[in-house]
Amino acid sequence: MTIENKLAGTPAARAARDEDGGKWRAILSAGQQAGLALVVIIVAIVFQTLNPVFLSQGNIIEILRSGALYFIVACTSTMILVGGGLDFSIGALYAFGGIVAGALILAGVPWPLAIILAVAAGAVLGAINGAVIVYLKVPPLIATLGMFFAAGGAITVYTGGTNLFGFPDAFNAIGQGKLFGVPYLVCYAVIFGIVFHILLEHTRFGYETRITGGNRAAALANGVRVNALDLKLYALSGGVTALAGIFFMARTSTASPSAGSSSLTFQVLTAIIIGGTSLFGGTGTIGGTALGVLLFAVLNNGLAVVNVNPLYQNIFIGVILVAAVAWDQAQRSRRFKARR
Amino acid sequence: MTNASHALPAHARTAGLHLKDISKSFGQVHALSHVNLSVEPGEILAIVGDNGAGKSTLIKVISGVHHPDSGTISVDGVERHLRSPADARNAGIATVFQDLALVECLDVATNMFIGQLPTRGPFVDKRRMEADTRHLLDDLGVTVKSVRTPIGMLSGGQRQIVAIARGMRAGASVVLLDEPTAALGVRETAHAADLIRSLRSRGAAVICVSHDMGFVFEVADRIHVMRLGQTAGVRKVSETNKSDIISLITGVRRDDH
Repeated sequence: MTIENKLAGTPAARAARDEDGGKWRAILSAGQQAGLALVVIIVAIVFQTLNPVFLSQGNIIEILRSGALYFIVACTSTMILVGGGLDFSIGALYAFGGIVAGALILAGVPWPLAIILAVAAGAVLGAINGAVIVYLKVPPLIATLGMFFAAGGAITVYTGGTNLFGFPDAFNAIGQGKLFGVPYLVCYAVIFGIVFHILLEHTRFGYETRITGGNRAAALANGVRVNALDLKLYALSGGVTALAGIFFMARTSTASPSAGSSSLTFQVLTAIIIGGTSLFGGTGTIGGTALGVLLFAVLNNGLAVVNVNPLYQNIFIGVILVAAVAWDQAQRSRRFKARR
Repeated sequence: MTNASHALPAHARTAGLHLKDISKSFGQVHALSHVNLSVEPGEILAIVGDNGAGKSTLIKVISGVHHPDSGTISVDGVERHLRSPADARNAGIATVFQDLALVECLDVATNMFIGQLPTRGPFVDKRRMEADTRHLLDDLGVTVKSVRTPIGMLSGGQRQIVAIARGMRAGASVVLLDEPTAALGVRETAHAADLIRSLRSRGAAVICVSHDMGFVFEVADRIHVMRLGQTAGVRKVSETNKSDIISLITGVRRDDH
């Protein structure tokens, strides 16, 4: 034991090093997020220099509002990616939530009940994604791509491609109201961010999600019920994404079958990956995802504010995406050089 | 665990792990046929055999990964139907897999508790997880810099030690180790042997599958030899030698039963 103590120090010293180890790990994983935060700040400074309106209070709120709904979708998709899965159907489920809620309201269903039913319908489609992946062994990309087309097609057929509108003001208010000058949508995003952060970092569900994404075979061998976990994750994604779509519909007073679509899927997944979540599962944080979404919102808004064609943002995003993943890979090989 | 068996003489006869007449086929392949196996509390049983002898299938049956076609498994005197690894764990069987079944991107403490995360209200009790892990590792003389170190940053030997320690933490009455010394250095192998002996002294029934004959003779009390899906023989280490075991493995010699 004395030799061991020499090697490892006294128990008190070891306990102190446990703290250190945690700190270093936090700093390392924060490295990428710090880099991303720096990029966001630099971009913001550039826009501010070109047009001082950019960092006015009104515009900051507008930036946050424009990113709020994508962030809510991104929270649940972050969980899926950390769990080792992928949900491509979010673009369609976003529109699906709005159309189902809209159709129910127009059919005379009270709007709070319509919201609950539409969220439940989204969760059912999500659970179908999960069941196809778990029981039919279809890879997540294919299963959710199938759902993307099927759900998107169904609402287009149902509506004939036209928008639904004419909802009660009380309903539209949930997407348009403000609390002390802060749009409800931003408040929702903050609440979802906090809830999902706690869910991922501190609950058994979150731990098991990270364990399963990190090594599915290990999770299974140690008694984690991975299939049930997948079903829950995809159902959660379906329900939350449908709810975000309902908020969007309330904000625009219109339910559109073309809301979201593939551009939402791509932007959300790109923002999550830029935020440091691994495509291969196991690692990722809600904080990183928030920064990724914020970068999109800042670019989108800033390019408009300085009168540059917003299409330029895609060039920038493409570069950032590849740089972020390259950074992640470099970190990984440095940290895990002991890999067998 | 074993104290209970002292208090209950009726169980004392059947405590530990007992497999009776276990058979398992995959299509036309008879991976296991009519295998009997027993390990008593406070005993280390080594399972040896050539490739394809049925060792892996046997381990997977005991750990709940495969369900046997026929035969019974009893743990501490209670017959168990192990339909999943979770069932095996609940029955008191802890398994240390050859591929270690650790999650590289998560820390040592979390890896110790996969499948059995302690909770406090709705949240995982991280403080308890880290304190318990530190306590156990200190107890075992395991030198890991920090319990918050991700497993991916540890060496192969350290990972193996963590995996074995996890088996011990579970407080299981049966611990199953699959090739515990594969890829270990000399010093690490000695450490693993110490850990396995301390499992025995805690009263666990230990099963150890290994190719390493030197290691087997050093730590095991009995050796169970598998050949072509059947038991070729069982020997006490004190009453056998390497050439005897090797002739059982290769089929030169075979016990009648």
